[in-house]
Amino acid sequence: MPSKEIKKEILSLTDEEIVEKVQSEDQEFYNYLMERYQSRLLRYANNLVKDEHRAKDVVQEAFTRAFINLNGFDPKKKFSSWIYRIVHNEALNILKKYRKELPMLPEFDFESSENLEKDFSQKEITRAIEKCLSKIPLNYSEPLALFYIEEKSYEEIGDILRIPQGTVATRISRAKLLMQKICQKK
Amino acid sequence: MPKEVENISSAVMDKIHKGQIKMRPRSYFLLGSLLVFIGLVASSITAIFLVSLMSFLMRTHGPMGQFRLEQLLSSFSLWVPLIAILALIFGVVLLKKFDFSYKKNFWFLVLGFVLAIIATGWVVDMAGLDDIWLKRGPMRGMMRNVVPGGNLGPGQNCGGCNRN
Repeated sequence: MPSKEIKKEILSLTDEEIVEKVQSEDQEFYNYLMERYQSRLLRYANNLVKDEHRAKDVVQEAFTRAFINLNGFDPKKKFSSWIYRIVHNEALNILKKYRKELPMLPEFDFESSENLEKDFSQKEITRAIEKCLSKIPLNYSEPLALFYIEEKSYEEIGDILRIPQGTVATRISRAKLLMQKICQKK
Repeated sequence: MPKEVENISSAVMDKIHKGQIKMRPRSYFLLGSLLVFIGLVASSITAIFLVSLMSFLMRTHGPMGQFRLEQLLSSFSLWVPLIAILALIFGVVLLKKFDFSYKKNFWFLVLGFVLAIIATGWVVDMAGLDDIWLKRGPMRGMMRNVVPGGNLGPGQNCGGCNRN
């Protein structure tokens, strides 16, 4: 276990600085990068594949691939966007592989007069949003999840999904409309 | 830290310690980038050359134009536009590998690339640069096989054809 001082020093380092340390000094530093990202990436992967076990496989495979290709990462760019991009690719691979086996989500609906923000607690809203997201096509749900749940900027979302920022804005706006239609059916 | 999360990092670190996974060397990525760049340049040059060749072939009807056009159409080498299109497609695929490709509207980028190739090919032909290819360039053999009349003598070159 590293001493408190070393841990404190690592905490002050940016992701890109840690990557440089992994590349040139000690591969053990990779563990700190994984610690920083694994929970967020698990949540993100789970939003994509809708299965906790597969999400775990996706993240593990993504970390493995990221390590193998770490020398191809340009430290001038954001590590965060790079690793999210790898998870996105892995998740799509899994989705293609298991497309026929995808679990059917239970049907749900909200009555016409219900107003989500007023009537539900925050936790229930989050759950409802997650359910709603699963009903929206991936093209729209993914940028929305990245923006609201993962708190990424339009630029970062563009880098992760490899689409122009204008397309990110359009998809998020359409996703909101779709969510309104699906989750607050009249 | 949740247990499953801990499992992921320990499983990956375990693979690293056992040497089951290793970082690819920097040279691997440098070589990859270099090959993509060379591929893009090569496919662009091929497409430009073939477009200039097509432009040259289309232009060869001067006096008795109708007769010569018919002759051209009957003997036109179809592989020229075919390879030009393949080179363009290959170029577009390689273009997609560059970071800037997704930051702009990709279809505009493709359109720009194709138009640039066609315009350059046409300019190359009009400027008479294809004469160089015909006489001493690496495409010499190909040009001689495709140019109507086949074997062009030392005095005959593209400069002798009608330039409008």
